[in-house]
Amino acid sequence: MTDHQWTELTAPYALGALDPEERARFETHLADCAVCRAEVRSLKEVAVLLAESAPAATPPAALRERVLREASRVRPIGARRPGRAPWLAAAACLVLALGLGYAYLRERADLQGTSAALAAKSDSLDARDALVATLLSPDLSTAGLAPTGQAPSARLYWSPSLRRVVVAVFHLPPAPSDSTYQLWAIAQGKPVSLGVFNTAVDGHLTAAMNVPAGLTFELTAVTKEPAGGSPQPTQKPFLVGKVSPAD
Amino acid sequence: MRKNRTDANFEAVPDDQQVKAGVPDRALVERMAAGEERALGALYDRHGGMAYALALAIVRESADAEEVVADAFGQVWRSATQYDAGRGSVAGWLATITRTRALDLVRARGRRTRAVERAAQADPDGLATPLGTPADRADRQIERHEARRLVTRSLAELPEPQRRVIELAYFGGLSQTEIAAELQEPLGTVKTRMRAGMEKLRGSLAPLLVGGSS
Repeated sequence: MTDHQWTELTAPYALGALDPEERARFETHLADCAVCRAEVRSLKEVAVLLAESAPAATPPAALRERVLREASRVRPIGARRPGRAPWLAAAACLVLALGLGYAYLRERADLQGTSAALAAKSDSLDARDALVATLLSPDLSTAGLAPTGQAPSARLYWSPSLRRVVVAVFHLPPAPSDSTYQLWAIAQGKPVSLGVFNTAVDGHLTAAMNVPAGLTFELTAVTKEPAGGSPQPTQKPFLVGKVSPAD
Repeated sequence: MRKNRTDANFEAVPDDQQVKAGVPDRALVERMAAGEERALGALYDRHGGMAYALALAIVRESADAEEVVADAFGQVWRSATQYDAGRGSVAGWLATITRTRALDLVRARGRRTRAVERAAQADPDGLATPLGTPADRADRQIERHEARRLVTRSLAELPEPQRRVIELAYFGGLSQTEIAAELQEPLGTVKTRMRAGMEKLRGSLAPLLVGGSS
């Protein structure tokens, strides 16, 4: 595509009106193109204002109580904390990128030069918020999952306080429909499933998964399992990583 | 959505005082991040109407709209610590969450959005009335009233075909391809209209845009 053709995608992108494949291609372009990023940021502001054109409607009085009642059951996650670790600057860039509507994961300084643009698998705001919140949590640990073969690799970010991990997978061909990939936490030698996933056609995935309450683990691994996943690994892991503090 | 112009006058208001009308939205979010439920109530009083109206423009049943709004404010509450003013206004953040939740709910139920239903019912000449009309304006808050009026008028002033593709994308959650199928128009035509319409809106809404045009 020429630059001009990319620019034509900024308006439909800001409105969320690109088809998934086109969106993924455009997001990859966005990671490298400051002009399109600025254009998208500006047009997103316009799109957000469209909410104001909804016909006026008065919410029922009980809705206010419901909002407050539901909030009173949970506390806001995390807490602002001064003196964040230097790598958080990179995470802040990621937050900005996500704010634009695409996931752009830049590896930390020790991995510079291997930065990769990822199209988020899911565009639901929830999934992205979970991802961002995990990456910003103050107690983050991380693990690089080294390939035991060659091509695929992955990085895991784990926030014990949020009981959530974010896993970013690179260059892993999608599993065929009769199988799936499964992420494991290995606690004192015992594997515990964190969830199943599959990569997009481009071999990439960024996803947030929940960690069972109270679980702490030292190692993390990925296996290929029959569709639906397995209670315990049935295959030898092809990606394994050791967890260490992300500072 | 307009930037509050009185930020500086209210930053010194102590936390233990009543939440006043002039406190900036983002100060409310900071208090929410500290766990102050009263700040959530104040945010709801300011923007609950907008969120509900937006939800109701996408879903059809008021019960669904209420669920969407409750979920959206719940998400704002839970993630208040993550709000970053650099990403845009609080109202815009809330609107984005509300829209996403509403579209997710409609899709989960396998239904069509209200906006798509309206487009399907447009008269044979293809004319559809704007979703929001000037008669809908009932806001008491002056600033929000002005913003609403400008947005509603700007949309109403767009050529009808341009306005319709934008509304189908924003309120209908449809892609360009889906809009072309829905309207039985060539895809290229839909693309051109969407781009031209958004450009015009960016011009007419410039007073409300923080970053101005790029």
